[in-house]
Amino acid sequence: MAPAIELSGITKRFPGVVANDNINMTVEKGEIHAICGENGAGKSTLMKILYGMQPPDEGTMKVDGELVEFASPTDAIERGIGMVHQHFMLADQLTVLENIILGAEPVGTGGAIKFGDAEKHLARVAEDYGLTIDPNDMVESLEVGERQRVEIIKVLYRGAEILILDEPTAVLVPQEVEALFDNMRELKASGATILFIDHKLDEVLEISDSITVLRHGKTVASLPNDGVTAHDLAELMVGSELPTPETAESTVTDTVALRLSDITVANDDGRPVVNGVDLTIHQGEIVGIAGVEGNGQSEVVDAIIGTANVVGGSIEFLGRDITKESVRRRRESGIGYVPEDRHHEGLLLSSPLWENAALGHQTKSPYGSRWWLDPAGARAQTETIREQFDVRTPNIDVAAHALSGGNQQKLIIGRELTSNPEVLIAAHPTRGIDVGAQAAVWDDIRTARANGLATLLISADLDELIGLSDTIVVMLRGEFVATLSPDEVTPRDLGAYMTGAALQQQGAN
Amino acid sequence: MRDTLERLPAWARWALYAAIGVFLLTAVQTISDTERLTQVATAREMLRFAVPIFLAGLGGLFSERAGVVNIGLEGMLILGMWFGAWGSIEYGAWWGLLIGVLGGMIGGLLHAIATVTFQVDHIISGVAINILAPALARYLSEEIWESPTTSPRTSAVGDWDVPFLAGGTIFGWESPDWLLSIANQEWWYVSDVAQLSRGLLRGTSWVSIIAIALVPLTAWLIWRTRFGLRLRICGEKPSAGEAQGINIIRYKYIAVIISGGLAGLGGAFISTELSGLFQGGNSAGRGFIGLAALIFGNWRPGGVLLGALLFGYVFGLDLRDLDGTASHAMLLVTAIAFAGVAAWAYTRRRTTDTILAGVLGGGALFWWFIADTVPSWWSNTLPYVIVLLVLVFFSQRLRMPAALGQPYRRGET
Repeated sequence: MAPAIELSGITKRFPGVVANDNINMTVEKGEIHAICGENGAGKSTLMKILYGMQPPDEGTMKVDGELVEFASPTDAIERGIGMVHQHFMLADQLTVLENIILGAEPVGTGGAIKFGDAEKHLARVAEDYGLTIDPNDMVESLEVGERQRVEIIKVLYRGAEILILDEPTAVLVPQEVEALFDNMRELKASGATILFIDHKLDEVLEISDSITVLRHGKTVASLPNDGVTAHDLAELMVGSELPTPETAESTVTDTVALRLSDITVANDDGRPVVNGVDLTIHQGEIVGIAGVEGNGQSEVVDAIIGTANVVGGSIEFLGRDITKESVRRRRESGIGYVPEDRHHEGLLLSSPLWENAALGHQTKSPYGSRWWLDPAGARAQTETIREQFDVRTPNIDVAAHALSGGNQQKLIIGRELTSNPEVLIAAHPTRGIDVGAQAAVWDDIRTARANGLATLLISADLDELIGLSDTIVVMLRGEFVATLSPDEVTPRDLGAYMTGAALQQQGAN
Repeated sequence: MRDTLERLPAWARWALYAAIGVFLLTAVQTISDTERLTQVATAREMLRFAVPIFLAGLGGLFSERAGVVNIGLEGMLILGMWFGAWGSIEYGAWWGLLIGVLGGMIGGLLHAIATVTFQVDHIISGVAINILAPALARYLSEEIWESPTTSPRTSAVGDWDVPFLAGGTIFGWESPDWLLSIANQEWWYVSDVAQLSRGLLRGTSWVSIIAIALVPLTAWLIWRTRFGLRLRICGEKPSAGEAQGINIIRYKYIAVIISGGLAGLGGAFISTELSGLFQGGNSAGRGFIGLAALIFGNWRPGGVLLGALLFGYVFGLDLRDLDGTASHAMLLVTAIAFAGVAAWAYTRRRTTDTILAGVLGGGALFWWFIADTVPSWWSNTLPYVIVLLVLVFFSQRLRMPAALGQPYRRGET
């Protein structure tokens, strides 16, 4: 039997970089094949080539033994290849069915969609592959895991037999990952071939039949999942020892840097989304908040920064009540902030780096004074950040969008840490950046902690939370439901707390 | 009660709302010194004002459902006015409408080229079209009619009386006029309903009939067809459509051109049906009010019609209200409407909204007490005020397309 996919000599160059360099890979029919590698290793480019979004400069592709050339995703879909993107391609205000049939609508006379036929076909596909979903739900009402299932059904609906999943577990909590893996096993049992990108090695080892590792655009290994360890894979990926987020000995002091007492935050409807939480962070301490997104973590951050609708409780910063203070006052007095979405809240993407470095600190030396900006001072400071935090950029006049995610994040971290904050709020500081940059960010936070910085860390990366934090609190439905010691907790335990499963168990016992 | 309402078919629900609205008007009229709130002429004027507003708003719906903000509707409407008049004079009434539609489409095409292909900010492109269109119309008038502001008389496509209900003729036989008989009985409320209905059904322009027919047609097109689904994905999440091989740019173009065509039809209606000639300034901002109707109507065709009728009512009432007594009575209607909003907000425990609606309603009531007439600027302002209030009180129920106004580039997520 011919392999499902056979790539030989695939090369893709972009100005200044070779994204894929002579890649050879074989994916057998009916297997789950993992592709791992650091960000920037060329995984996404390879997937885009496979899915017809970009043509390769050199090399050939074979699908089911036949030589193919894809001009667009439509060609790939015709050959039975479907892709589930990392960022869901779903419209919130359309129904599940509408999202699924989009582009492949069964129509009758006058272009009217035969919704009945579509629903029947969908039911058949869902049954064949053991996936359940209500076709008439609005997508906005679905959980992340369900949305992913819609995406998978979407490609199956089109008759895809080879599925490409781009970092499918990045957005899921451990329990949802389990459900996804169950689904993947079902798909495999029904004859589908799955190619998936992941850089969480334990997951790769758990689910895949074979593994291809990319580094700097080259295939460094392609091996069956048989006796391979996470350690081996890690070394293949980075070419050296994998960095870990672990912090050294405790630097926690007795001085309280930030104290939230009985904080309640209301949303636009007036309903509480954070309900009477208490939190204390000492100097030299990192407190991590674990939680499934949307359980109030963002609102706790907003409350501290001063952008939330705080309806009850008080916030004390170094003994001073700042509950009613303006955002600028808080920032000026020493609260650093790494926002969760660097594109929306962290940067002005079309402005030069030095202006971005001044963001949030524009009223203080060296960036400026109360009324005036100091471009010379800001530029000098930006150069300092660039050196100290290893922001890789040709110069500080390029627009922020020209930098890779990792370098953008290093700029933000540098901007906040060089302003010598007393408290740092770091929301998902390493989200979507590669392993190298991740290690740099961890180092920066650790160093600042050793110098007495109090840090509130919010992260969906549970290893990062456990590795960096001195204390972990778990947030569920607007409340802190557990306080855990990172020395005694595993990602699985945390996941159980985050979804409420652990609490139910405790209740039952 | 809420569930019962939602289980009713759409037409029954709307009929119920209309009945409640007319009841409110009748009740207010009983204690005021005006009879215009429910006259035949008021309903007729309402419809005549509402049709171009509705057509512009519906145009906006197509454009904005595809993600393109169309503030250039006013300019497209003016293009429709000029080309409609010119076509009507040169080739006859029906050709006039068609050429008016094409004129509006030129404006739409321009907007599409600017916003979709060149990614100009939608507002800026729209404003440019609003400046360009009247200037172009003026220039063309000067060239063709040798008068910068007015054209010769145009011809209209004519109108229709509904048989039996409003005394229309069938093959030369004149049917009875039942609504007139009911109206003449002067039964409280019943005759008022008859009068208002008769105003809508007698002497109704064919364009108005086409416009009303566009409501179900648009709803079907947007929600039941492949074209509609693909159009909506352009406004909700174009990258998702692109990933499924849909040519987003083509759909955006089609949508914005349709948008211009509908605004153009509205413009042609103004020049050929309402004024009987092209006259600069006759658009009277109805393209903008159409946008207001679009927001009021929550980007749904039925809602846009409702908004257009509401605004048309305010304008139509004002037109015949030389002594200002009818507008004065409308203050009381406004006060009662605010009381309703306050009650609604109270049941949802929205304290601020309750207080705000209460204060505004109290203000309207106070104004009604101390004044006998209301200046005419009030009714010209009212549509905008209504939209602002809708935004204040009901913004959470408004659902604008998620990717509205965002630039779209191929291959970007």
